[in-house]
Amino acid sequence: MSDTTFMGVPRVKIPWFPTINYEKCNFCMECDTFCPHHVFERREGDHKLVVASPNHCVVFCRACSKTCGPDALSFPSKPEIIALIKQIRDGEAAK
Amino acid sequence: MKRAILSCNGLDKPEGSVAREVAIRAAGATGGEIVCPVLLNRAPARYKKLLGENSLIVVDGCSTRCASKVAAQVAARVDRKILVSDAVKASGRPLDSTLNLGAGGLVLAQTIVDELVRNLNTPATTPEPATVFEQPTEFLTVTHDKFEFRIPVVDYLFNENDVWVRVSDDVARVGISDYMQQKLTDISYFDPPKADGTVQQFGELGSLESSKAVFEVISPASGTVASVNPAVIANPGLINEDPYGGGWLVEMNLTNWSQDLELLIDPAAYAEVVKRKAEEE
Repeated sequence: MSDTTFMGVPRVKIPWFPTINYEKCNFCMECDTFCPHHVFERREGDHKLVVASPNHCVVFCRACSKTCGPDALSFPSKPEIIALIKQIRDGEAAK
Repeated sequence: MKRAILSCNGLDKPEGSVAREVAIRAAGATGGEIVCPVLLNRAPARYKKLLGENSLIVVDGCSTRCASKVAAQVAARVDRKILVSDAVKASGRPLDSTLNLGAGGLVLAQTIVDELVRNLNTPATTPEPATVFEQPTEFLTVTHDKFEFRIPVVDYLFNENDVWVRVSDDVARVGISDYMQQKLTDISYFDPPKADGTVQQFGELGSLESSKAVFEVISPASGTVASVNPAVIANPGLINEDPYGGGWLVEMNLTNWSQDLELLIDPAAYAEVVKRKAEEE
């Protein structure tokens, strides 16, 4: 999946993925159970859940945050990501 | 019509306490009957007749959506959904952290009920469509294992989030692709965007729920919501039956179409996206 693209831009160049606020997260694992793309991974230790595969996250999808009771998941600003995608596309086109 | 009202228990979060209060007040205001989520989960037969004859208002406290999940388990016909944590955000006033509702929580509960009653009393109107969209007749087909995913050959453009758009006279009609409706399987609820709301391209245009997943409808265009498909609100299964025709979701008045086009793909390119996604699953 690491070599996939989104709108013609390599997925690895698009920083779209959830960030876990560990002060809010209660490790209920609803997001991990929900996400079919295996973005999250369960671990031992204090942080029992991590964003292990950020590039598996579907760009612009925030559905996992809708399953989060304590509102512990956040995403980047969509307009900023769109601007970045356009910038990379324009750069590629100019080559 | 009599209504049944199902809320979450409200025992471990302030939002749950508000949800419980909303259910009690909504029952009083609408003459509805409250459904106990624990009993519904434990002994669904108790409510079989009530839920068979009436539509359901579901009140969830937080995004864990326990009440919605219990409703989905028993395949209840959901008419409205309320999510208290969203209402808290919209109010701009955080709730007190205690489980006993303070003045703020009680005011919020009443505000939610007032809006619910107002919506229930507003007859659903179906405006005459300003534009006629012909049913597609010619399709590309992507085949993967035993699945076939159809993509209309003309008039439709897509984003890579599996949402289509077609345009006529500056009105855009939006829906989800055949691939996505098959992936979601039986769609049970469409939570529409606010009427007259403004949406940017790639912003959220409501969401769909099935027993398998929640799907955020990512808008393929920028504009204002002109109308929501009343047929889909009444019967979300129409999206599965006819995703490119009668199962459309929203019509929008476009505001930035020429720029939006830059980030949309044609049916042939979308077919490649579907092929790739199907192979990766």
